[in-house]
Amino acid sequence: MSMNDDDLNNQPTEPRRKLGASAGRPSMAGGISPGQMGAVPPTPIAPVSGQTIPPTPTYRFARGTQGTQRGPVTSSRQGVSRRKVLGASLLGMAGLGVAGVAGGLALNWAEHGNSSNLFHSSAGSAQIGHLLRRAGFGASPTDLATYQSLGFQGAVERLLNYQQVSDDELENRLKTLNLDLNKPADQQRWWLLRMAWTQRPLLEKMTLFWHGVLTSSYQKVGGKNFFMRMIIQNQFLREHAFDTFDNILLGITADPAMLFYLDLTRSRKNSPNENYARELMELFTIGLGHYTQQDVSEGAAALTGWHVEGLTSRYIPADHNNLVKHYLGQTGNFDYKDVVRILANHPAAPWFLSRKLFTFFVYENPSTDDLKPLVDSYVESGHNIGAVMRTLLLSPQFSSAQAYRARIKSPTEFVVGAYRALGLQGSGMALPSFTTLTGQTLFNPPNVGGWPGDKVSALWLNSGTWMSRLNYIDLLLVRGGAIGKEQPQPLDLQAVVNANHIDSPEHFVDYYASFLLDGTLDSDRRSMLIDYFTTPDVSRGGAQVTLTDGKSYPLNRVRGTLYLMMSSPEYQLN
Amino acid sequence: MLVVSAGMMMPAIFSRGIASARAMSLEGSRFAQAASDRTLIVVQMAGGNDGLNTVIPYTDPLYHQMRPTLAIPDSQVLTLDSRLGLHPSLKALQPLWEQGHMAIVEGVGYPNQSLSHFQAMDIWQTLDLSGNGTEGWLGKLVSGWVDQDGHPFKALDVGVQTAQALQSISTPVPTVASVNAYRVYPDPADRDAGNARMQALMKLYSSYPKTSPYAALLDTTALNAQDGSSQLRQADATYNPAVTYPTNSFAAGLKILAEAIVQGLGLRVGYVTLGGFDTHANQQTTHATLMQTLAESLSAFYNDLNAHGKADSVVVMTWSEFGRRVEENGSLGTDHGTAAPMFVLGKPINKGVYGEPPSLSSLDSNGNLKYTVDFRSVYATVLDRWLGASSKDVLGASYGSQNFLPQP
Repeated sequence: MSMNDDDLNNQPTEPRRKLGASAGRPSMAGGISPGQMGAVPPTPIAPVSGQTIPPTPTYRFARGTQGTQRGPVTSSRQGVSRRKVLGASLLGMAGLGVAGVAGGLALNWAEHGNSSNLFHSSAGSAQIGHLLRRAGFGASPTDLATYQSLGFQGAVERLLNYQQVSDDELENRLKTLNLDLNKPADQQRWWLLRMAWTQRPLLEKMTLFWHGVLTSSYQKVGGKNFFMRMIIQNQFLREHAFDTFDNILLGITADPAMLFYLDLTRSRKNSPNENYARELMELFTIGLGHYTQQDVSEGAAALTGWHVEGLTSRYIPADHNNLVKHYLGQTGNFDYKDVVRILANHPAAPWFLSRKLFTFFVYENPSTDDLKPLVDSYVESGHNIGAVMRTLLLSPQFSSAQAYRARIKSPTEFVVGAYRALGLQGSGMALPSFTTLTGQTLFNPPNVGGWPGDKVSALWLNSGTWMSRLNYIDLLLVRGGAIGKEQPQPLDLQAVVNANHIDSPEHFVDYYASFLLDGTLDSDRRSMLIDYFTTPDVSRGGAQVTLTDGKSYPLNRVRGTLYLMMSSPEYQLN
Repeated sequence: MLVVSAGMMMPAIFSRGIASARAMSLEGSRFAQAASDRTLIVVQMAGGNDGLNTVIPYTDPLYHQMRPTLAIPDSQVLTLDSRLGLHPSLKALQPLWEQGHMAIVEGVGYPNQSLSHFQAMDIWQTLDLSGNGTEGWLGKLVSGWVDQDGHPFKALDVGVQTAQALQSISTPVPTVASVNAYRVYPDPADRDAGNARMQALMKLYSSYPKTSPYAALLDTTALNAQDGSSQLRQADATYNPAVTYPTNSFAAGLKILAEAIVQGLGLRVGYVTLGGFDTHANQQTTHATLMQTLAESLSAFYNDLNAHGKADSVVVMTWSEFGRRVEENGSLGTDHGTAAPMFVLGKPINKGVYGEPPSLSSLDSNGNLKYTVDFRSVYATVLDRWLGASSKDVLGASYGSQNFLPQP
């Protein structure tokens, strides 16, 4: 199959969304964020006889060594870790290799991944650029070269088989920052910098997906002494990002942050709390319309028995309601394991989950035909999310013109993407405040429904968040992202010019367009940028950038050209 | 919803939306002469506010019986009349009540109320009882007004995301997190304060092919931002609040709205959200804090406007997606419920309790209150009697009205 530029220029004329479809559920600012929640100490658990289960893999992050020195904390209590609760089948990506659908590729852009013309081509780099924006956080020139050399399918394999790629450099760099993971701003930096520096971009993207679905907020995890519960949840989601849905649901049910966030820890066997039971069905697994209020109350009874204890959680059989429950058409003395089993096997679950994945990774308002292959993978692989993701990434829809630039970048995608593309190595101090100003505070979703923009990406954009995007780009270029008392380190454009032998304004624009804009800038717009670059001007202080042909241009014009590219309509799209 | 460009396949409801927005635009200009200085502020209490502990049926023994730990003791209730009283942390609203500037609409809900936050929020904001609506009722209202005469701030939403109630198919509503953030910062190396760079950027937006994804959204958003930021900055330079606002983000939001009103930015509809009402557990402290935040912030807002001579032209209306279960749960909290009271505040208000507090002895099968007032009749009242709009056009049907505002 050959590729011509028309395929790329023939982009969707519309974001494919039916405005009335149920998938998109725009919500409003503020949401149900328990912003006013005070610190509530965890309930002391009376010692009970019988099995004691501290099911959380308790990673402890020593100050200064976060992100690397982690390991199960020795517990004095005889018990079973959350890992054990999940069962012995916890093999992570084990199911991936078998469930692939290597055949059936009908990629518009397939076979163009090997173009070596990195800086002046559109075809191959556009497809890889698209893949890295969706399955990661965009591309630096190095990223683009690395993945492009593998071809599209090889690139997908590298993203999915992340264990084969070392992330030691990231872990080492994070270590030097001395982050305090008990503090929300440092938690956010820790994760945002992971995304910016990781060699395992899909793993982080998948973790972000789960954070938007199986969500919790530090505003309600037990007060500032327990903010670390958010990191424990985050590590769980990362480690099980591609596991079976059953294991993910078991783990999130036993997750200390979640137990607190949705009040399961306060549920009593004789007076069950409905919060988790309802949202587990409505928002996590099957969706509205597939359950009744009776299922909520019966499910709540079945889910009793869990308690948070410090940074771990425990299931206490004596605290579980042992009555017979009628739940989603089945009857028995159900407990949380039964609830998860019934939900993961519910016919609505694969459709619900596939719709969320497809909307997040491909485009909004997918058709039944779009979702069917994902649903089939879910069923055939024994609910393995890695298998579903492989199907998704290799689907014709993923690489279709309809998917291309079909979503507005989320604040995290925008903020991390720019940081990554420019290869910034700073402290990341500005990242939390700018994701917040552009509409997304990690570890603090607006409500239990996660971010509405994950479902309808247009909701990310408004006058205020647009200006914050511009201001963020300005901050990166003018100060290297340094804020407050940090020493500004303006992006060293002279070094970029020298390293890449940029010898003309055209070359400058093309160089940045190649990895920021897939090299698909049409000639009118390219001319506007070159005009801006070459307009006679004097930068304040007289600073200049000298291209390798020996001609000098005022710094403000050179820098302004890059600002325009990263503030352009095209760059707002994912 | 905003993503529109030429040739878009548009569900019928939106073609109607456009038609009615156009009709309203005409109607709006007719009406604008009579009421152009009138403003509606909508306050969303997100998460489902416990109405029974907000406006308390303190003389009903069932209230105390069904809430053995959460019932507010009679001695602490701020008495309104022989049946109802306010939560003690709403003390800051008491002067407004005494001066006759506060109304309560009791038992507000709709048929077959949803216990889902999200479906309920959809319904309250889009009026589509299936929960699948997208265009907001206020968005539909303001789409004919915004930018009509160079006023980008006919409507203003405080926050980082535009409320669904303000989503419209044709007009983005300015969404302001803070006055300081609502501007584009120049590169200090530019000696023209960033003008040339901004001009070049706007050209990239206006020339972005209209058939490209999100073209209309991107273009209108950029224009909207450019128009609004300088106006807000100018307004901010000379605005002095007459009171000290409480130090919380909700009050900070109200202060932005007060600034827009006092400085004459043409604000007709303002929107701000207070979150955290989903009190499934340990409700008492959380709810008291929220009540205090609500009351003290609204009181400061009112006093600020009053001192600036603007209290006659502003009405505040609160809403929440549902009330909470009558009977408390085993976690010292309350689960999702149904009907709840709304507050309407302002000098133009007819003081009183409207509607009927739902009976605590006749609950639905889930133990929830049966609504007595349709929320759409409250919306219709502020539309017809305050904003001078046609509620029938905006809401799609006639829902009657309440008497907390006088007939125009």
